[in-house]
Amino acid sequence: MSRLNRAEVLNNIPLTDREFILRLKLPPGSLSPMPGQFYLLRATNTFDPLLRRPFSAFRWSDEWVDFLISEKGKGTLVLKSLRPGDEIDLLGPAGNYFPPPSGDMKLLVVAGGIGIASVFSILREYNGDSVLFYGARSSDALLIRKDIEDFSGEVVLCTDDGSIGFKGSVVERLRLYINERTPEKAIVYACGPEAMITALKTYMKETGLRGYISLEERMACGVGACMGCVKNTSEGMKRVCIEGPVFPVEVL
Amino acid sequence: MNLTVKIGKMVMKNPVTTASGTFGYGQEYAEFVDLNCLGAVTVKGISREPRQGNTPPRIFETPCGMLNSIGLQNVGLEAFLKEKLPYLRGFDTNVIVNILGGTIKEYIELAEALDGRVDAIELNVSCPNVKKGGILFSSDEAIFRELIREVRKNVVNSTLIVKLSPSASSILSQARICEEEGADAISMINTIPAMAIDIESRRPRLSNIIGGLSGPAIRPIGVRMVWEVHKTVRIPIIGMGGIMTAGDALEYILAGATAVAIGTANFVDPTTTMKVLKGIEDYMRNHEIEDFSSLIGGLIWDREGR
Repeated sequence: MSRLNRAEVLNNIPLTDREFILRLKLPPGSLSPMPGQFYLLRATNTFDPLLRRPFSAFRWSDEWVDFLISEKGKGTLVLKSLRPGDEIDLLGPAGNYFPPPSGDMKLLVVAGGIGIASVFSILREYNGDSVLFYGARSSDALLIRKDIEDFSGEVVLCTDDGSIGFKGSVVERLRLYINERTPEKAIVYACGPEAMITALKTYMKETGLRGYISLEERMACGVGACMGCVKNTSEGMKRVCIEGPVFPVEVL
Repeated sequence: MNLTVKIGKMVMKNPVTTASGTFGYGQEYAEFVDLNCLGAVTVKGISREPRQGNTPPRIFETPCGMLNSIGLQNVGLEAFLKEKLPYLRGFDTNVIVNILGGTIKEYIELAEALDGRVDAIELNVSCPNVKKGGILFSSDEAIFRELIREVRKNVVNSTLIVKLSPSASSILSQARICEEEGADAISMINTIPAMAIDIESRRPRLSNIIGGLSGPAIRPIGVRMVWEVHKTVRIPIIGMGGIMTAGDALEYILAGATAVAIGTANFVDPTTTMKVLKGIEDYMRNHEIEDFSSLIGGLIWDREGR
């Protein structure tokens, strides 16, 4: 089964002024993604926007896949305007995935802003006792709260302005949690903005906490050819589209 | 229908190849394209030693195009010969290897190691990304000439192609030097040095500040330059720069290109090479053209205009 397909838009539901959930019909027989994998979407036949845009598989069934997308520019604006019945180009699933936890580990899922799109599926797909640390600027930027509560054992909300939950960053809150509960066997799965990733990396290295972080980078080919989406790691330049997007914290 | 073209000693079953740096080492695209159907596979530029390339961010999309400053990240000669070339040799297609060096000696060593083991060697004298690399060779005509002369001495069995930069002070003069020094062919155009700025942070979009612009935005510039070079030299030209469709490829061919390379379009649609090839065949059928070579430089024009 080819990873390059035409896919029908089943629905496209706005969550806020900027965020929306795009549901695409998966071609029969296509591979299902794993948590952390992504697809490259292209909705136009014109050359502006030009390149495909990569998005994490947010949730899926055998028949469809959902993408939680935030409008950032031309590419996402085109996707936001799609209507049911439209057809777009779909390439994927692509990249590696969050390795499933082994044994009875405490899953510490850390999401900042739209980063929830990449880690939400861990709560659905992987077994284990999970805590979700989910942070954003303010309460109205914390998306899909109902769905989250359905799937996560425990949800810890954090906002910069304190409008709901803990006032402060998810990393600060994670630190409090670890200090209080000192879970014996824990694994972190995380995705979020750069500032969050930097703070999380530092904290995890300090404490020896193990885990995986999904990174974002502008992408061109998405198949490992162009070397455009690399990140500098302790093992050299790594392509986010092939060797990533998920990296063990110790190489970052 | 005859689609065969000849570039130096290299016979291509059709005029479609890939632009260096946009098709990896072939393997990355084998899932989408039957590599046997390509006239040639042109691989990512190879240096003597492996290169890490530039610090990210390395790419940024601009209207109908993209900037890149990859910085020539590649596996190096030894790994290429051991790990990448044997795979490509399993296909019935030509292999063109783009080479780059910091000194003439490095280019010579690469040429010696590859001569006879690959169908063609493409000299990258015009990559705008690495400060000590290509740009120096293409910006000084005496050094440019010396480089081609020295490499030519070491390329005996393979075809030698020189890739020209659109930012050279005179691309016509460089094309003449290529011909005089015995290069078999010219490939053109490389990306155009360009820049974009994030006005909120006031920082450049690329960590290297300047990158190479590619994509459909640059195609008319490429077509013009191929036309001018075609009128100036007799050696064949591999035309490239923003080819997205068969129509775009045919513009280059009518302007004087013997073969065409698909670059950025591979990122947009990994099957572009096959669509371009099919479109050229359809065009020939519709226009009752039996021999592809009759299209090369087939532009109809007169000196009074149009």
